[in-house]
Amino acid sequence: MFDTSWMKRWQDAVNSNGPMSWIGKHLTADLMLGFGDKHFVVQFRNGKIDQFTDILGPETCYQLALRAPADSWQKFCAKVPPPMYNDIWAMAHPLHGKLQMDGDQKVLWQNMRAMFWAFDRMREI
Amino acid sequence: MAKIEPIVGRYVWVPYEGTEYRMYFEEAGNPNGIPMICLHTAGTDGREWRHQLCDERIGKHFRVIAIDLPRHGKSIPPYDWYKENEEYKLTAKFYSGIVMAFSKALDLDKPVIMGSSMGGNICLHLAQDYENDVSALIAIEACEWSPGWHLDWLRHAHIHGGEVCATSVFGLMAPQSPDKYRWETWWYYSQGGPGIFKGDLYFYSFDHDFRGKTQSLSGKVPIYYMTGVYDFACTPEMTEEAAKNTKNSECIIMEEIGHFPMSENPDVFNRYLYPVLDKIVAAKQ
Repeated sequence: MFDTSWMKRWQDAVNSNGPMSWIGKHLTADLMLGFGDKHFVVQFRNGKIDQFTDILGPETCYQLALRAPADSWQKFCAKVPPPMYNDIWAMAHPLHGKLQMDGDQKVLWQNMRAMFWAFDRMREI
Repeated sequence: MAKIEPIVGRYVWVPYEGTEYRMYFEEAGNPNGIPMICLHTAGTDGREWRHQLCDERIGKHFRVIAIDLPRHGKSIPPYDWYKENEEYKLTAKFYSGIVMAFSKALDLDKPVIMGSSMGGNICLHLAQDYENDVSALIAIEACEWSPGWHLDWLRHAHIHGGEVCATSVFGLMAPQSPDKYRWETWWYYSQGGPGIFKGDLYFYSFDHDFRGKTQSLSGKVPIYYMTGVYDFACTPEMTEEAAKNTKNSECIIMEEIGHFPMSENPDVFNRYLYPVLDKIVAAKQ
């Protein structure tokens, strides 16, 4: 889980999702996703995951990072996630702190519906 | 014959502190039953209670009344809202005051108040300031303090208010709740007036802070706390702490449900609610 193969399946699930084609129409952003010690930069372009990479270096750019322990992401990805892990904002809420957000938080709030819809597709792979 | 629901909606002009508020309410049930005012969650309106309004078992003994607070649903803001010098912020004083002014306007005799989220939290203020005017309080998803929600992102010119208000609360619902009802709740949230959800959350996360005060409630009015396990804004532990500090209270933790029990999963919620209502009926007899 959370390797390149898994990321490819998530990319396919997002890019083939019907509602994402209109929910995500204006989602264009570069995100850093941290699954424990495994990190990817994901490029969304008009609601599609255009590309992702785990080759990160001094020239790697992204707008917003979402990092959580792999165990937290595994719970999030469960078919029926347990309480406090069923939603990105649930995990990130200051009361719980199970997911850390760094960077331009406005990107998240501007694109929250499309991003959360995309993350929910993680439960389909 | 098409299915017609028993809900009837009306408007009443409610005087409160020098202003008259045109408030919308829906009611159903027994017109001679125990009056029960239902309070919606932040940023939305009384449509959340449609299942309880239509429930025959609830309606047998209760006159169920779901209100839209001013600025919510079909209740318009005061006429001069557009020239207010400060953005809208709901306060405990106004919230509890307007609810009781509504009760007075309808000449209700010591109603039961049932509210969820901010409607649950206001029950503590009603117990504190209006204990002689209510007969029981059903505080759903309530706790002493619920921080972290009064965010400017919820009223920001660069952000779609409807979509972000609705999406930010979607995860408060349990994955076991039917999709049709979860997305109906999302829909209600997408329709709030600009800045109203954020303004309500001023009460929810700032003006409501009962830490250290709950123990001083007299216990004259019974408080029934009910919280779903998927509520990440008011966790079961937070409710249990409030209930532990409240005299004459009961704490009910609801499995497989979240922050919007009445609208996200009415079948499950009503199964938890019926015994509470039975106790209230028994106490009246």
